[in-house]
Amino acid sequence: MGIGKVFRSAAFRLAVVFALVVTASTCAVFAFVYWQVATSDLARLRLILIDEASKAAVEPTDQVERELARRLTRDLRQVEYVGLFDAAGRHIYGNVAKMADIPVDGMAHPIELQRHDVGGTVTEPAIFVAERRPDGGILLLGRSLYEVFALRRSVLQALAIGILPTILLALLAGAVLSLRASRRLQAIREAIDRVIRGDLRERLPVHRRPDDIDEVVRGVNLMLDEIVRLMNQVKTVGDNIAHDLRTPLSIVRARLERGLASASENELRTASRQALADLDRALATVTALLRISEIESGVRRSAFQKVDLSEICRDVFEFYEPLAETKSIAMRLDAPQPVPMTGDADLLREALANLIDNAIKFTPPGGTVCIAARSGPWLRVSDTGPGVAPNERDKIFKRFYRSARHDQIPGNGLGLGVAANIAELHGLNLRLADHGPGAAFEMGPGDAQFPTTPAEPALHRSAEYDACLDEDEISRSKPL
Amino acid sequence: MAQEVSLALERQGYSVRIAETESQALAAVRGFSPAVMVADRMLHGSDSLPIVEKLRGEGNKVPVLVISALSSVDDRIRGLKAGGDDYLVKPFAMDELVARIEALRRRAADARVTSLRVGPLTMDLIERSVRRGDRQLHLLPREFNLLEYFMRRPNQIITRAMLLEDVWHYRTLPQTNVVDVHIGKLRRKIDVPGEPALIETVRAAGFMLHGDR
Repeated sequence: MGIGKVFRSAAFRLAVVFALVVTASTCAVFAFVYWQVATSDLARLRLILIDEASKAAVEPTDQVERELARRLTRDLRQVEYVGLFDAAGRHIYGNVAKMADIPVDGMAHPIELQRHDVGGTVTEPAIFVAERRPDGGILLLGRSLYEVFALRRSVLQALAIGILPTILLALLAGAVLSLRASRRLQAIREAIDRVIRGDLRERLPVHRRPDDIDEVVRGVNLMLDEIVRLMNQVKTVGDNIAHDLRTPLSIVRARLERGLASASENELRTASRQALADLDRALATVTALLRISEIESGVRRSAFQKVDLSEICRDVFEFYEPLAETKSIAMRLDAPQPVPMTGDADLLREALANLIDNAIKFTPPGGTVCIAARSGPWLRVSDTGPGVAPNERDKIFKRFYRSARHDQIPGNGLGLGVAANIAELHGLNLRLADHGPGAAFEMGPGDAQFPTTPAEPALHRSAEYDACLDEDEISRSKPL
Repeated sequence: MAQEVSLALERQGYSVRIAETESQALAAVRGFSPAVMVADRMLHGSDSLPIVEKLRGEGNKVPVLVISALSSVDDRIRGLKAGGDDYLVKPFAMDELVARIEALRRRAADARVTSLRVGPLTMDLIERSVRRGDRQLHLLPREFNLLEYFMRRPNQIITRAMLLEDVWHYRTLPQTNVVDVHIGKLRRKIDVPGEPALIETVRAAGFMLHGDR
C-alpha cells in the first residue's frame, strides 16, 4: 500500500486530528506551568526586596553599613546589589557605585544591568528598590534575576523537549491504527475485486472481534450467499430445460428428416404433424419449468391477499367435475366451512388443478376423487387409483419423474413439482399421505396430520365427508 | 418471427406492415392507421412497450396485441399497463395469434349492453337468462359466463387459451381438454337433437359460435 493511500485514509485523518488535540492540551498544561514558574518566583523576590529595603532604610547609618556588609559577604552567588548614598548623592558604601536610574519610591523596578565579565559585557536582568533614608540619603537594594531567567529557560526547554515526543507518539499511533484499518479495508476491497472478476465463492474477511465494519461485511456475505443461491437456481433451470429439450428436439429432427426423405407427401404430412405435437409437448415442459422457477423466486409473495381456500376448492371442483364425469369418476367436495388464509388465489388454484388433474388421470373409471379443505389451512386431494408404490414415494416430487408403471398416461412429470413449489411459497408442505388403496396428497402446515375430525359436528356429517375419509364407503360408492 | 406472423396474417387476408424500429412503428401506426398493432416486446434488443405508451399518450386507440417471451405475471401486468389490450406469450400457435387479432379487431360488444342476440340465441344480461328461439335454457353461472363470452364474439374463432384466461382465469393448466368437456356440456344444453349446432369446433384452433344458423 502506498504512503499516499495512508494519508488519504479516514483512519489516518482521524489520527492527525487526535494528535493535534493531544498536542494542544499538552501545550496548555505546559504554558500554565511556565507561567506559574515565571511569575510566582519573581513576585516573591520583589516582596522580599521591598520589605528588606523599607526596614533597613530607617536604621542608623553605621548599622545599615554593617548589615549591608554582612549581606554582601553571605552572597556567594553574587546576586545581591547594595548601595548607600548620602543626601548629596555621594556613594557611602556598597557594590553599586552609581545611583540607578529609578524613582526613589520604595517599589521594585526591573533594570537591565551591564556587567563586565571575563568574556566581555553581558546584560543581566535585575530588580532594584530605592528607599529614602531619614537623613535624606538613599538606600539602594537590588537582586539579579539571572537564576530566575535561567529557570524559565530550562523549564521552556523541558517543555519543548516533552511536547515533541507527545506529538510524535500521537502521530505514530494514528499511523499504526490507520495502517491496520487500511489493511483490513484493503483485504475487503481485494475480496470484492475477486467477486467482481467472477469468483462468487469468495467471501469478505470477517474480523475476530465483531465491530461495525464486521456487521457490514457479514451483510455483504449474506447478500453474496443469496446471489449464489439464485444463480444456482437459474443454472439448474437452464440445465433442466436444456436437458429436457434436447431429447424431444432430436426426436422432432429425426421425424422431419424421415418425412423429407420419404417419397409420399402423405408421410411427410404425418411426420410434420407428429413433429408439431412433439414440439408442443416440449414447449409445455419449458413453460412448466419456467413457472416453477418463477414460483421459487418468490416474487409473487408480494401479491398475497386474504383468500378463502374453500372457495378455491369449490371453484376448481366445478371446473373439473365435468371432466371426471366423462371418465365416469365421481368427484366429491368436502369444504363445508370457509378456510381463510393469506395467499395467491391463482397459484393455489393452479396447485389444486395439478393435483386434481393427476388424480383424475390415475383413477380408473368408477373411482372417486375427493377434495377436502379444513382450517389450518389444510388441503387434501385423494383418489381411488392405484396409489403410489412404496419405492416411488420419495421420487414423485422430483422434477420430471414419471412412474414407469404409467407410461401410457400423458404428462411431463412437473405437475407435482409445481404444486409442491406453490405449497412451499405459502409456507405449507405438500406430502403423500397414507391412504388405503389410492393416493392422497395433503397440503398443510408443518408435519401435522390432516385433521381427521369433521369440520362440522358429527351429527351433521355430510355424505361427502364420509365418502372422503372412509375407504370402504368409497369403494362401495357409485359414480355420479 | 415478424416474417412468419406476416405470412400467417396475409394468408388470412390481412395486409401487413412490418416495422423494425420505434420510428418506423410510430410512422406506420400514424400513417397507415392499422386495425390492430402487434408489438413484439423484443424489438431488436429494445423493449417495444414504450412505443405503445407513446401511442397511448397521443390518444391513439389502436388495439395492441403484445407478444413476448416474458411470461411472468409482472411482465404481463406491465404489458397491459403500458396500453396493450392483450398479451400473448411465446411460443404460440399461429392460429392462436390470428384468433386473438381477430378478437381485437372486432372488439367485444359494448360492455354496457343489457342484452345480446346471436342467431336464434337471446341473452338478457340483467335477468341472466338465455333463450334459443322460444325455449328457455337453464345454465349454471359458469355456463352462462361461457356462453356470454361466445355471444359477445360471434363468428370468431375463440381458442381454448382465451377461454381459460378470460372465463376461468387460469393461466396455465396441465391439459386443456377440460375446456372441451365444458363446451360439450354447454352444447348439449343449447342444441336439442334436430337443431343445427351453434358452437362449432374449429380443428386445431378452437371454437366458433355461428350467428347465421
